[in-house]
Amino acid sequence: MISLSDIPTKSGFPLTPAMCVFLVAVASAPFWLEAVGLYSYLGIEVAIWILYAMGFNLLFGYAGLHSFGHGAYIGIGAYAFGLFQQNVAVSLWGGLLAAILAATLAGALVATFVAHRRGIYFALMTIAFGQVFWFCAIKLRWLTGGEDGLLGIPRPDMVLGPLRVSLQDNFSLYWFAAGVLGLAVLGMSRLVNAPFGRVLQAIRQNEMRARFAGYDVWRMKWLVFTLSAAIAGLAGGIFAMAQESAYPDIMSLHQSGTIVMMVLVGGGLVSFWGPVLGVLIYFVARDVIGGVTETWLLWFGLMFVVMVMLRPEGAAGLAHVIRSRLARPKAAAPAERSA
Amino acid sequence: MYDLIPHIVNGLTLGLLFALIALGFTLIVGVMEVINLAHGAFFALGAYFAVAVIGGSWFSGTEFGAWWLGLPLATRYVVALIFGPICAAIAGMVLELCLRPTYGKAPLYGLLLTFGAALVIEELIRVFWGTGEQSLTIPQTINGAFLLGGLIFSKYKFFAAAFAVLAIFLVWLLLERTPYGAIIKAGSHDSEMVRALGYDLSKLRLAVFAFGACLAGLAGITMAPIWGLRPHIGIDVVIPAFLIIVIGGVGSFWGAVAAAMLVGLSVGISGAYAPAWAMLSMYILLILVVGVRARGLLGRKSALEN
Repeated sequence: MISLSDIPTKSGFPLTPAMCVFLVAVASAPFWLEAVGLYSYLGIEVAIWILYAMGFNLLFGYAGLHSFGHGAYIGIGAYAFGLFQQNVAVSLWGGLLAAILAATLAGALVATFVAHRRGIYFALMTIAFGQVFWFCAIKLRWLTGGEDGLLGIPRPDMVLGPLRVSLQDNFSLYWFAAGVLGLAVLGMSRLVNAPFGRVLQAIRQNEMRARFAGYDVWRMKWLVFTLSAAIAGLAGGIFAMAQESAYPDIMSLHQSGTIVMMVLVGGGLVSFWGPVLGVLIYFVARDVIGGVTETWLLWFGLMFVVMVMLRPEGAAGLAHVIRSRLARPKAAAPAERSA
Repeated sequence: MYDLIPHIVNGLTLGLLFALIALGFTLIVGVMEVINLAHGAFFALGAYFAVAVIGGSWFSGTEFGAWWLGLPLATRYVVALIFGPICAAIAGMVLELCLRPTYGKAPLYGLLLTFGAALVIEELIRVFWGTGEQSLTIPQTINGAFLLGGLIFSKYKFFAAAFAVLAIFLVWLLLERTPYGAIIKAGSHDSEMVRALGYDLSKLRLAVFAFGACLAGLAGITMAPIWGLRPHIGIDVVIPAFLIIVIGGVGSFWGAVAAAMLVGLSVGISGAYAPAWAMLSMYILLILVVGVRARGLLGRKSALEN
């Protein structure tokens, strides 16, 4: 089995061919989405989930910390954005800042409790904390509106210096989400190729050795958890705008499991771009299989089970294996079995 | 204090039922080192099969169906009590076979696979039984309420608690007083050694998984009349179960029972003061216990920590 560490570091300018393809695809999406039978709202949703999934993969794929309660932070971001609009001021930047801050705080708090854990205990603790947040979202009626959620969250205008752009229609909101996504992905790709990303991978491979090599493992784990919660919060803020509401369902164990499924199906364990593939596969499955049968989750779940059994590296891992087979038709087979 | 008695009784009943769910879970975790997120799905499957057996919906219209529905409810209930857990056990064996490729890999894969399986089983339940709420009818003798010291108690809760105590006792007997139990426990300490002694490890795993799923199915049938039956009950149930495992210490029999009673009591008593927040008390309990003692109340060092 291959892993992320088999991919060489790309230092310097982050505009690799894959990055260019990604940016071009994101930038041109509104022009071909409807031509292939999709709708522009889907674009927003996919952009938000890619942002969320890539932030999650810093924790899941790079640091090897298997959080099963990450839905909490996108939910907190969404609520913070909505509450800021309704109680403080109708402002895009303020709301997004509030979303990031709230999710960062929650993430930092949880990270303080879980950063010295590993493996399944880490997963169990993150589930427990995720459930606490989900439970609070349902029960704090006066703050969050209970099970109905916060309704009527506005889509504030984007104010950039003298520029004022309305984000009311899905088209302009997509451009905004895509812009945020593009910047975030550039930043993340820089980050994972920086020493920080390398240390995260060292922690995943052997935490004790990383500690003996002199790295402050606890602080690194704490930092990556908090960072990934902050990115989830940002995604949550945009999500609240897209949905014009915030509700507790996104914080449930089901949804937290869904993001893990997306990242794993796409191959987040073996590639920086894995989460993108995973999110695309999930939404295509939802819309295509969901259009044929109501039980699409059954088929997606079955596909997931089979994939964990046979190819846990996911779609990106499969692509990697195929590419290496094509490149070295004979030498590839033993190399691939070595792990 | 006197007002609290019904809540304490409620809490103890709940704790015993939680213990029943958690025991199957901890057995599987102990021997297989797999966190089985599909445990709740087996719970649901057991209860749904019991509903099908009691209601006779599969063979309604046939001669056998008419004869079956003519039998007294108590007979049908007893048959369901046997049939439901067996179906859950079969599902458990299928899942164990699917899990085989993940052995020896990171424990994450077992967790993910069982999460996927839970999703699949839940959707299958929706397909076969519909999305609505189902109810499990129980015989007259254990239905209704009785008065004790001026307080009203539900008969069924006492039946369920007694049933849970019996089941827990039988599991204890199996684990502590039979050679099978010795092998199972040895398997959870050192599976390599068990294999070296000539026991078939894959058969042992299959049996343990079936047994754990069977216990979950039994708990499902016992719990369904109290909690109701919805397709997503599996997820609702698996969370308390594994909180209990973590609080009690992974793989520990008495740890699971003690933690289940503790959780049941804290939910019951906090329910007296703030009903809406009752379920939160178990999360707080978890954070308190695990914050102080990472391995849980009676846990020992486990391979899962790595």
